[in-house]
Amino acid sequence: MFPGVAPTSPLASRSTHVLPALVLTLCLALPALAQEPRAIVEEAQRRSVSASQRYEGTLSVIDAKNRISEKRWRYDRIGSHGNSKSVLRFTAPAEVKGVALLVVNNPTRSSDQWMWTPAIGRERRVAVQDRSQRFFGTDFSFEDLEERDTNQYDYRLLGEETFDGTTCWKIESRPKGSKTSQYTHSHLWVRRDNYVVVQIENYKKTQLIRRAHYTDVRSMQNIWTAQTIEMHDLERNSRTVLRIEKLQYNVPMKDEDFTIQALRQER
Amino acid sequence: MPLLVVLLFLSQDYSHRGFVESRGTLYPQTAINDSSHGVGELFVRYESFYRPSQRFQFAGAVEARTDTHRQTERNFRVDFDDRSLQRPMFSVRRLSAQYRGNYRGNLTVEAGKQLVRWGKTDIVNPTDRFAPRDFLTVVDSEFLGVYALRGTWESGSETIDVLWSPFLTPSRLPLQNQRWNVPPPGAASLPVSRTIPAGTQSGIRWSHIGFVEFSAAVYSGFDHLPVFEFDPVQNVIHESYPKLKMAGGDFAVPFPWLTLKSEAAYFDYPDPSGGAFVLYVVQLERQAGEWFFVGGYSGEVVTREAGLSASFNPDRGRTRTLLGRAGYTIDTNRSVAVEGAVRHNGDGVWLKSEYSQAFGQHWRVTAGFTLIRGNPADFIGQYRRNSHGSIAVRYSF
Repeated sequence: MFPGVAPTSPLASRSTHVLPALVLTLCLALPALAQEPRAIVEEAQRRSVSASQRYEGTLSVIDAKNRISEKRWRYDRIGSHGNSKSVLRFTAPAEVKGVALLVVNNPTRSSDQWMWTPAIGRERRVAVQDRSQRFFGTDFSFEDLEERDTNQYDYRLLGEETFDGTTCWKIESRPKGSKTSQYTHSHLWVRRDNYVVVQIENYKKTQLIRRAHYTDVRSMQNIWTAQTIEMHDLERNSRTVLRIEKLQYNVPMKDEDFTIQALRQER
Repeated sequence: MPLLVVLLFLSQDYSHRGFVESRGTLYPQTAINDSSHGVGELFVRYESFYRPSQRFQFAGAVEARTDTHRQTERNFRVDFDDRSLQRPMFSVRRLSAQYRGNYRGNLTVEAGKQLVRWGKTDIVNPTDRFAPRDFLTVVDSEFLGVYALRGTWESGSETIDVLWSPFLTPSRLPLQNQRWNVPPPGAASLPVSRTIPAGTQSGIRWSHIGFVEFSAAVYSGFDHLPVFEFDPVQNVIHESYPKLKMAGGDFAVPFPWLTLKSEAAYFDYPDPSGGAFVLYVVQLERQAGEWFFVGGYSGEVVTREAGLSASFNPDRGRTRTLLGRAGYTIDTNRSVAVEGAVRHNGDGVWLKSEYSQAFGQHWRVTAGFTLIRGNPADFIGQYRRNSHGSIAVRYSF
């Protein structure tokens, strides 16, 4: 979800005609208000759907002692949300150049992930139980690199809050049984004006584990997209700032570039 | 021509990487055939990839090296086949052309010198038959490229990998006059007559990905590790590379707390004096916080005893052995790792510890110590005088 930077939530989806349904809900049936958080999230997802996405990301990892290390990756995604595949390939620093991660997202369960390490010439599957680990020294976990599907979560509207100067819905999401997650639940802040997710807090029981803050939101090819994502690991008090550059949506891409074979091919 | 090279570098379809490494190794003890205590090495590797179109890619890697211990040749030549006893000063590690197409699935065809890795487990890989190594320092071996024509077809969760290699690339063995070659008593001064067989090698591997990942592989060709026979008539040791047929497989199963991986292969040496045996590895792995652990057991079942020839076979030498590796990431720049092998009868122990720290975007310093103990008759134990400390400084670009 996070590297696929349309700041839309952990929630992706193949939502369809949500707005008419919302209008109908608001006008006619009070009990239907219970569906509203899902409708909000699905609308947020719908607005971020694209056939593909490409960007170059610069990551600044700032540890608890304020030491900064820089990394760069190139990100390609084909498809959207629960039906997408992505390849993330490090381009810097030099010693990790070529290290790549393939994420195959699934609409009904956790993603499949494989990591390619050129130094040993082998790909390695990232086991589901290892998805809570940090991804290559950043504050993103392997699970955070998934694009999740709305159908894998239950939602509850917690209220409205002003965040970063805009009015937001605050929504709680909880993974359903089919979804394996390190997080018991998450809180999402979704802007009312453009349905962009501007913050996600991820919890393990009552403890806040990670916070993702989306800023510098701009319309890119008619998709509101955060240009900066700050992931804060509260257990380690470490932060990773991902800056998005050269972002493009709907770039022609082929399915065959998102396979284990393609992962082994270095560019 | 220089303009062409510059244009190639500026091209977006061209990528490259590499490093320069300087390494010093200190051996506290001398060996029977090696009185030195220190080895200094300088090593450069440059890898590049050029993709003129979506379908084609060219890959190349070259190396240059020298050292203080005559492990590297001193003559200026470019080596292409990795058959020399010493490491070449300049060598081509990889040089291949690759085509990708779509024929009821994804098809990749690669021709040329390339690196091929089969198998899933760590430390010992019984099915990894197209992966000869440089064993000049036995416990820190490096893979060598092989010339091959490789076709890989992938459809959904199934992949079929077919390889044909026109000739054998043998593993590079410890040099006769150096400490990692431990000859039997009295054999040190005997000349060695080396014969590399002509003939092709081929193999096929089918792999499946899903909740359980597994693969099956067969191989027919030669062993890249030699056998030695003493010829009393000529008073010479014959080094040869026997014919080999291998059938094996591997699997990985993720459980809630750890991942189980296993790999096994049946080796049949069809020569009259050749033996047959099964090598297997079972390992468990887990990541927890900043830690990772891999632990397992490597075993062997001999189904047919070989003749009187001796062999150099580090994979078999590490069977009936408990293997493990653990690592801890201290922070974004620093990490420590420990790796070890202990023979189940206690006859051989190998422990390697390493501390590594990055400085800025390009520099990394790695300091390590390797402890080797055991019985002189044991594969690991025979290197008991080769415990060593090392420090390596690497500049990556």
